[in-house]
Amino acid sequence: MPTSVKMPRLGETVAEGTIGSWLKNEGDYVEVDESLAEIETDKINAELPSPVAGRLAKILVQSGATVTVGTDIALIEESADVSADTAAASSAPGPDAAPVKSDTQAAIPLLNEQDERNAATKPSSPAMNRHGEQKEEEERQRISPLARRLAREHGLDLNDITGTGTGGRVRKEDIMAYLEQRSSVATAPVQVPAVPAAVAVAPAPAYTAGEDEEVVTPSKMRLSIAEHMVRSKRTSPHATTVVEVDMTNIARWLQQHKDEFKQREGYGISFVPFVMKAVCEGIRKVPLINSTWTEDNRIIVKKRINLGVAVATDVGLVVPTIHGADQYTLAGLAKQIHAIAQRARVNKLTIQDMQGSTFVVNNPGVFGTIISVPIINQPHAGILSMDAVVKRPVVTEDDAIAIRSMMYLCLSFDHRVLDGAGAAGFLQAVRAKLQSYGREIDVY
Amino acid sequence: MNEKKVTYLEAISQAIREEMLRDEAVFILGEDVGAYGGAFKVSAGLLEEFGSERVIDTPMSEAAIIGSAIGSALMGMRPIAEMQFIDFITCGFDQIINMATKMYWRVGMPVPVVIRGPAGGGTKGGPFHSSSPEAWFFHTPGIKVVVPSTAYDAKGLLKAAIRDNNPVLYLEHKLLYRLPFLREELPAEDYIVPLGKAIIRREGEDMTILSYGAMVHQCLRAAQILEEDDDLEVEVMDLRCISPLDREAIQESVKRTNKVMIVHEDTLTGGIGSELSAILTEDLFEHLDGPITRVAAPDTPFPYAPELEAAYLPNSEKIVAAARELAAY
Repeated sequence: MPTSVKMPRLGETVAEGTIGSWLKNEGDYVEVDESLAEIETDKINAELPSPVAGRLAKILVQSGATVTVGTDIALIEESADVSADTAAASSAPGPDAAPVKSDTQAAIPLLNEQDERNAATKPSSPAMNRHGEQKEEEERQRISPLARRLAREHGLDLNDITGTGTGGRVRKEDIMAYLEQRSSVATAPVQVPAVPAAVAVAPAPAYTAGEDEEVVTPSKMRLSIAEHMVRSKRTSPHATTVVEVDMTNIARWLQQHKDEFKQREGYGISFVPFVMKAVCEGIRKVPLINSTWTEDNRIIVKKRINLGVAVATDVGLVVPTIHGADQYTLAGLAKQIHAIAQRARVNKLTIQDMQGSTFVVNNPGVFGTIISVPIINQPHAGILSMDAVVKRPVVTEDDAIAIRSMMYLCLSFDHRVLDGAGAAGFLQAVRAKLQSYGREIDVY
Repeated sequence: MNEKKVTYLEAISQAIREEMLRDEAVFILGEDVGAYGGAFKVSAGLLEEFGSERVIDTPMSEAAIIGSAIGSALMGMRPIAEMQFIDFITCGFDQIINMATKMYWRVGMPVPVVIRGPAGGGTKGGPFHSSSPEAWFFHTPGIKVVVPSTAYDAKGLLKAAIRDNNPVLYLEHKLLYRLPFLREELPAEDYIVPLGKAIIRREGEDMTILSYGAMVHQCLRAAQILEEDDDLEVEVMDLRCISPLDREAIQESVKRTNKVMIVHEDTLTGGIGSELSAILTEDLFEHLDGPITRVAAPDTPFPYAPELEAAYLPNSEKIVAAARELAAY
């Protein structure tokens, strides 16, 4: 039996992917983890590692085609000596599970189109590769000269345009399609598809802008976020509950040790790892908050705690994952957060980074907000927003008024999965953990 | 078969005969062009009609044929020098390069010589009877290079070449000589096809294929396949004359299609495609939506074994494959 290779889920919210190009031809032999194809989605592009070693027997989905996540895209005849782990690779994936074994794809850097474009100062690529073997440097400049001129003439940001040429190259028809879409779709509302799969880029009724209006065409990423937000609100009955947490001891510790910590470790530490650590504690107390309500009305409780961290980047919001967050110390979490945010900002997130999260911690507090009502990242059961830590006059337990560093934690949860009591129980546990720190904190 | 329809070869014969009738200065010389009527019978009947002073059988020396042609042209004649196979033009190379092309530049005397002969492969002719020598002359200033692909053009271009005051190399593809599908009815009246004017053989918007000679027909076949199987509208431009090139027509087409492929039967390196590619990059860089793609013969001598010859020559299959890659680029 050949092993089928499936379209991976590149990110929680991505329902379909496009084969950018096949890096192997039918008949080629591949090693485990060797790149088979380039996959493109609205959010990220990545190389797809082979789940097994063997011969690429059949390409089922040609480059350029877009298929839903989990679709078989190729068949690999395994080498005789490859054994058991193939069963795992070929079995049907769970609703949010990666169809490709996660351990085979740990550190595959995403293709960074922006970098490639910027790096294209050396003489440009030597045309097409007739042997199907595409080395990265040969594909550095993924925009045709014509497309570059057209983009310049129309004042377009090439980041907004998805290339459909070989290797994701932006070419004439992509610019034309973009211009056409911009003039026709314009400000039409985002379509929510009946099947929660395709992102709504379908042609909508044309909207003609008035004299005092400007038509902005959302980027693919914006459309993807829009689709996900609408779908989440439609899927989960959101309820939001808020607790106030006294962060004074943590704030003081940070004030005193933050610089020294950064000097010593090379990365910073903030309130975020403390909240994440406390969230892990809360999940241990109320495991239901770390679950998924399935379409066939069951609740799948996740035993691993993989925390998504919302990171704002230049191109939009991404939510990469810290896997096994409960296994880290505070310093370890700080290191993970630093690494993931770095990767997100330079667009080097991996497939692994973009999948498998079970709960999200959001930190709008950095923007100074004091209360936020977040929307759940599907298919999670909850999302926690930590708002700004601000000094407030607080009545203490002994009826004195003291100046304390206070923070609101806002939890939006799926009311199908649990009720206010459960949600509050979770928040209480988070708060208790955060308030348990004394003057001296061991972050290791 | 409609008797009025003529082959590519008959069109060439008609052009020679009509020009000889029109202008007494026109004459033909070459190996076996007289009594034998030419190795491919292009000049059959001319000796009887025009006599041995205007249809001259020569010794087996291309240098002598071309050299005497140049000399007579300087004296006011308009010779047509036939190479029995164009491969042997190399024996007359010095006369062409050092004399014919430079004479007007040196002494202001025009050299209205036409050097013509059967070129190209696909006839199992082996390394000495299959070559496409155009690139040597394409490179050289002072000589025009004409490569017809149809009977109409074969006649019209040859007439224009004979009337031109410059040396003209006229390459007729021997595979096309008697191809039935190239038979066509030609205008009864005198006509020429001007040198230096390309023609679009098939219109399309997705890419332009530039070609000439016998390869034009492979390109047209490929374009048909690409339309049927890939929904691609491929424009095929027949250059007809590769020196001088019709830069205007090439620009007009490529500006519309933004992708361009060059197909020629000659070997790849230093071929016409190389120069076209350079011109396109200089003139139209920001109009290009993909790399300029070349389909040509590999850089080896022409093979003899039929299997090797088949593998060596560009064909519609190779063109289709390259076009698909270019379209997807």
